[in-house]
Amino acid sequence: MNIPNSSDRPISQEDKESMLRGKRAIFLFFAGYLFLIVLFYWAAGYQLHYRASRGNYEMPTAETVTVELTQGSVVEQTFKVKIQRLMDVSVQWGTYYRPNSGTATMELYNLLDGSLVMSQSFPVAEIPEGGITTLSAPSPIETVFDVPLLLRITSDSQLGSAATPLMSLSTQTDDFSLSMNGQPVEGTLCLAVSGEDYVWTGLHYWEFAFGLAVFLILVVFIVWYRFRHGKRSYVVGAIIAVKKYRFLIRQLVSRDFKTKYKRSVLGMFWSFLNPLLTMAVQYVVFSNLFRFDIPYFQAYLIIGIVFFNFFTESTNMALGSIVGNAGLITKVYMPKYIYPLTRVMSSMVNMLISLIPLLMVILISGLVPTKAYLLVPFVLICLLIFCLGVGLLLAAFMVFFRDTQFLWGVLSMIWMYLSAIFYPVSILPKNLIWILDVNPIYNFVLFARTCMIDGISPEPVLYVRCFLMAMGSLVIGAIVFRKTQDRFVLYL
Amino acid sequence: MSKKMIEVCDVSMRFRMNSDRIMSLKEFVTTAARGKLKYQEFTSLNHVTFSVNKGETLGLIGRNGAGKSTILKIISGIIKPTEGSVITRGNIVPMLELGSGFDFELTGRENIFLNGAILGYSEEFLKEKYEEIVSFSELGSFIDMPIRNYSSGMLARLAFSVAAMVKPEILIVDEILSVGDTEFQEKSRKRMMEMMGSGTTVLFVSHNLEQIREMCSRVIWLEQGEVRMIGSAEKVCSAYAP
Repeated sequence: MNIPNSSDRPISQEDKESMLRGKRAIFLFFAGYLFLIVLFYWAAGYQLHYRASRGNYEMPTAETVTVELTQGSVVEQTFKVKIQRLMDVSVQWGTYYRPNSGTATMELYNLLDGSLVMSQSFPVAEIPEGGITTLSAPSPIETVFDVPLLLRITSDSQLGSAATPLMSLSTQTDDFSLSMNGQPVEGTLCLAVSGEDYVWTGLHYWEFAFGLAVFLILVVFIVWYRFRHGKRSYVVGAIIAVKKYRFLIRQLVSRDFKTKYKRSVLGMFWSFLNPLLTMAVQYVVFSNLFRFDIPYFQAYLIIGIVFFNFFTESTNMALGSIVGNAGLITKVYMPKYIYPLTRVMSSMVNMLISLIPLLMVILISGLVPTKAYLLVPFVLICLLIFCLGVGLLLAAFMVFFRDTQFLWGVLSMIWMYLSAIFYPVSILPKNLIWILDVNPIYNFVLFARTCMIDGISPEPVLYVRCFLMAMGSLVIGAIVFRKTQDRFVLYL
Repeated sequence: MSKKMIEVCDVSMRFRMNSDRIMSLKEFVTTAARGKLKYQEFTSLNHVTFSVNKGETLGLIGRNGAGKSTILKIISGIIKPTEGSVITRGNIVPMLELGSGFDFELTGRENIFLNGAILGYSEEFLKEKYEEIVSFSELGSFIDMPIRNYSSGMLARLAFSVAAMVKPEILIVDEILSVGDTEFQEKSRKRMMEMMGSGTTVLFVSHNLEQIREMCSRVIWLEQGEVRMIGSAEKVCSAYAP
């Protein structure tokens, strides 16, 4: 609106100055990019290069015993797994509930060339009923991807004091076969095979970073070229809008924030107290009622609570932003997206404050911050973008259908129960897990939990998922908002 | 030749109106399903064309529902016309109805900045003019009190002071000037005259013909969304209310 057309104006002093500023901004932009790329490489660390292999073989449930493993007996399991870096092979044992003695030996052979890959011996006396012995490679074995392998278990125990490897009768897998003392049998040994795969991002990180830089340079160059020739592209338009409305946005955000706790005794302290109290209540209720087996349950809870609170608060605030400001919208012109935007931003301020109690809980429960904590801002930005998108969508809906506010109350409650805020993922039935995978909030929370509780970077694919979900929400919200905003006034 | 600040070209505005506006999804679905989603067209403006020169004070008169407020909203960009176009040159500042940009929990000082930002002023400008605004409003030490404690007269004075302190290129006034006590009314009237004298283009809507005669150089008479008459204040006013 009302932007003077500058296409045929000669370049003035003011333009020269703004170009100088623009050049400086571009320089800072690329310096920042370089810094972030290196920082990310360092902070993401190991997880950038390897992830738990997709070919990991999980131990089947034990159903019966194989043979009593005395001297001369042998249990052989052949198998084939698609693991790029094989690390562990484990076997589960039965003891007949008696003290045993002797030594059991696990040997892993490569059947292609008949070589011994690794072997290890275990004192049988130390194996409890249902205990697991693990054959660990000193360094990951990279030569056995999809190669037939043989696990041979032998022992020198005497009859009456020997243990037995357990097996499952009902599990049949291709390329797996079990034999006892040379006789092939149906079923599979209770064994687990695990290792790591290379991740594409780790192998090609610098190429990828370079490619992105080239792309960005290209974009900047095109924008700059168009700007020089007096054409306004989207990017320049956005920068001008930010500059023009910065003061207004700041005023509105500070207004929201100031009035939120005005006239309450504890004031801003509530932003601090709220997540702590919610966490305390849920901790008492769930740790007594359900006995979930989650390590660092307090930290697990508060991360979910802070994230989800921000989601509900910001979307609810944005939802009423257009309808609630009807008095202004019908009298003053300003871009309408400013209303939901400022609401979401003021919730963000609130959420940043509640990160303090979150960190307190984490430190008190004994977790030590690692370099992976540096990755948390990424997911916060994703969350902010996601909430903005949802907020824009809701604000637009609300104008035309006032039912939206009630519907959203119910929907956000359902959403909370589907986000694994206060329960472990493992209590969900297997066929419902996909709901979590497509739930953006769960992905953000999982990201933060991996960084802060496990202290490691999430798998690279989770970065991509978080980013795409945030962007998808923003794009959809922005399109709907843009398409409908001209009609808002008529419905207020 | 004077520069044209506002050009309104052949603007029409039609609203679609249901007999009662549908405000809920259920209602929408049920009425749509029954095929009863009929809209009644209501023409608020019908091919209106005029222009305003720089420094001119243009009055708009007409009965209620003649389309005066609609044309002001179209000019300030709040609603888009169904047909036609409006070209404006320069920043537009509407003189808000009392307190619509205010937050009652905030102090007068905070409200000056908030309201100023809403009206599109820059931070530097507001800081520079802050003292002037406060002294014009005659609020004194009340300026640091939450405005929910203000009397309506004090609110009106604050609102007028913020709006009047600028020199917008185009000022839109929809029924104002009756704020505060007689003394302040006189002061604000003077201030308005000053602004109009200093090259600001003013669009002015009022039912008070006396004010129109006094302040406007040219007057447009709207009737049922159409321009009935354009001309000098004296001529149009006497035709409007003989």
